[in-house]
Amino acid sequence: MGRYVARRLGQMVIVLIGATMVLFACLFVLPGDPVGSIAGSDKARDPAVVAELKARYGLDKSLPEQYVNYVAKVATGDLGEDFVQRREVSEILGPKLQNTAKLALLAIVLVTVFGMGVGIIAALYRYSILDMATTFFTTMAVGFPTFVIGMLLMKYFAVELQWFPQLGGDKLEGMVLPAVTLAITDIAFVARLTRGTMLEVLRADYVKTAVAKGLPRRRVLFKHVLRNSSIPVVTYLGISFGGLLGGALITEAIFNWDGVGLALVQAIQQQNNPIVIGVVTYSVAIFVVLSLIVDLLYAALDPRIRLS
Amino acid sequence: MRGAKSAKWVVGAVVVALAATACGGGDGDSKDKGSADGGVFRLGSTEPDTIDPGRAHESTGVLLANALFTGLYGNTPDGLAEPALAESATSDEGCTSWTFKIKPDTKFSNGEVVDAESFARGWARAAHKAAASDVAYHFAGIKGYAELQDGSAKTFSGVTTPDPTTIKVDLSKADCEFVLKTAHNAYSPVPKVAKVGEEDKAFGEAPIGNGPFKMDGTWEHNKSINLVRNDTYGLEKASLGKVQVTLLNDKTAQQLEYDGFQAGTFDYAHIPTPMLKTAEAKYKPQNKWFAKDTNGMNFVLPIGDNGPTNNKDARLAISYAIDRQAIAKGVFQGFQTPSTTIVPPSFPKAYQKDLCVSCVKQDVAKAKEHAEKGGLKPGTEIKFSFNTGAGHEEWVQAIAKQLEDVLGVKVKLDGKDFPGMLKEQQGGGATGIYRFAWGADYPTPENFLFPLLHSTSMSKDAEGNVTGDNRVRYNNPEFDKLIDTARGTKDEAARLAMYKQAEKMAMDDMALIPTFNRSQFRLMATDKFNGLDDINFNEDPILEKISLKK
Repeated sequence: MGRYVARRLGQMVIVLIGATMVLFACLFVLPGDPVGSIAGSDKARDPAVVAELKARYGLDKSLPEQYVNYVAKVATGDLGEDFVQRREVSEILGPKLQNTAKLALLAIVLVTVFGMGVGIIAALYRYSILDMATTFFTTMAVGFPTFVIGMLLMKYFAVELQWFPQLGGDKLEGMVLPAVTLAITDIAFVARLTRGTMLEVLRADYVKTAVAKGLPRRRVLFKHVLRNSSIPVVTYLGISFGGLLGGALITEAIFNWDGVGLALVQAIQQQNNPIVIGVVTYSVAIFVVLSLIVDLLYAALDPRIRLS
Repeated sequence: MRGAKSAKWVVGAVVVALAATACGGGDGDSKDKGSADGGVFRLGSTEPDTIDPGRAHESTGVLLANALFTGLYGNTPDGLAEPALAESATSDEGCTSWTFKIKPDTKFSNGEVVDAESFARGWARAAHKAAASDVAYHFAGIKGYAELQDGSAKTFSGVTTPDPTTIKVDLSKADCEFVLKTAHNAYSPVPKVAKVGEEDKAFGEAPIGNGPFKMDGTWEHNKSINLVRNDTYGLEKASLGKVQVTLLNDKTAQQLEYDGFQAGTFDYAHIPTPMLKTAEAKYKPQNKWFAKDTNGMNFVLPIGDNGPTNNKDARLAISYAIDRQAIAKGVFQGFQTPSTTIVPPSFPKAYQKDLCVSCVKQDVAKAKEHAEKGGLKPGTEIKFSFNTGAGHEEWVQAIAKQLEDVLGVKVKLDGKDFPGMLKEQQGGGATGIYRFAWGADYPTPENFLFPLLHSTSMSKDAEGNVTGDNRVRYNNPEFDKLIDTARGTKDEAARLAMYKQAEKMAMDDMALIPTFNRSQFRLMATDKFNGLDDINFNEDPILEKISLKK
């Protein structure tokens, strides 16, 4: 198990290097001039100033050289300085990560509670009105694009009814609409996934055996059915949480949520490459760590799965 | 150019027509009710590039820099210079040397006295290479500018301070309107803590100024910037207690502002173009709708030294072929008016209506006639470049279609991001036509004619790359001479006459192709505040005049 974790962490470094390398190459072949965005785009610049800015940010070096410099700095925990505010990238992203994490956490709680809850009920009362309603609404929810959901929620619950603030804010009430927006699609997915795997497990012989042996229904459900049907759900939740932590571009943009998603959108527009690379590096790292955690959870959920 | 991200402007702005409805908004009942001291005025805006007075250039930055700093002069909302800290401004006969007397004993919010030295410091700081300021060129006329720009000096050789209330400015070329330039935020004074000749991040995050407001904490990036009233302000103190600026994502800012106004989050809002009609219908009856023609002008910019638009006839053909009325009515739903000049109608003393004859009405026959003379044959390819994502797509496509229909040319639309478009426009190989807009930094026609068309506003390198704002590459020695003489002419009437003549000259050469005049629309919480009956020269709410209703 220890060796397994070590090996996975080793893989993580390789994935990180690969991802940042690809991104680096992409960012620097984009049209436009990052120095233009540092120096302001509209005015003719003194070439001397431009040259100095390029030197300052190492943009005068070749791409591989820039990449090596970047990696060397990142290895020491230094993500560099951004082009627009000229502040440390880590200092800029720190509070934004926290904001995104708050939102992601609330969203994933909603997804787990409502998604699994609805799925379990639908499976237990299969073909009932409840089940059919679940199928109908989850299909609808999956089909709606996030930005439509977000804008509708904002229009009705913030602008017209004024139940929630229109722009996030630090309080819980400000987090509700963006978190619900983020959660709705995933709730639907998780509900369907839970329902499907539960039904499968309910039909399994060992469940029939357990019931035949006269075990109490609740015990059968929790000990045998739920535990065995939760593996794919946990995988999905893990991946989904990873995605949420990486910043929800559209939702954060709609609700002006000051998280990494919004930062990424703005950085891309401004060609603020250090921020873009910073956000992506961090998202990839989170993703790899989470998938490791999910894999470790498998073993806990199903002892037949051995990690080695 | 202030609001340099003019793309954003124009969208935000959608230019309007109806001069008659200008100033529709709310002074009606504002005087009846009294004002209370204090109150919080809330608005949403995009994250500024910088709020440092020496560097601020786009709309939010300018709004904040002007709330935090007060310079020698200001502008009235209708574009007249108005003294602020200056007690007098005098020039020698040739307009090459200016002397300002300033009000004694006004203070920065940290208690330091604002003296002549603080102005000299602020100007040099903004013009120094280390500031990498987008607006440093406003100092270009002062002696010693070049040395500051290359970093070899830390002070202007042309600025001296014989005593604490006197500033003497020597210019390298006569400029009888220099006083107008001092209204720009770059001409603000700064206290001793502001660093000259080196990068100054700390000051930029929370500038210490001498304006009607001061910072409440520091700039919380992408979140908010809060101001509180400066109780030690040297001029008439503000009535508002606080100003809260919520920083919004720039892609959705206008929608967020509009929604926020409806939800009661903001007291002031821009309106997304597609919502203008709805907003007008809903808020005009409530007296919360505000409309005003401003000095922003939109042009089609023809590259004059290269490609299919290198001759006057080709440019005339393009101008005649455009049906401005149809686009104003169709694409802009009447919220924008066709333009027939380079200098905006908001400068009434200089405005020459219908100066651009080919702009007045689409004329297919004349368009074809000039096209023939100018070498625009059917099938000729004209590249039309514009910046994407800023709401220009529709009208650009409409003009392209009209050119193709009328002239039989082939218009190749080339959409790019803003920096990309500008870079290409400046490149030696630039050809065809570009989307272009310009707004004034100071209230004089010179601020349009000089930067856009004077030959010294352009320098070309060996590859033909252009620096400066004369992007059409207009070069007419007679025009230059007129502008130079006008700038050195003390008598205002004579000066204006020369500007008019110069504008006509450029128009006769069809150096720029006028398209639309800009107007601004806002929603204002006139039920809660007095003083929301106008916007200032920079198109912002006049914060120092706003007060809470009793």
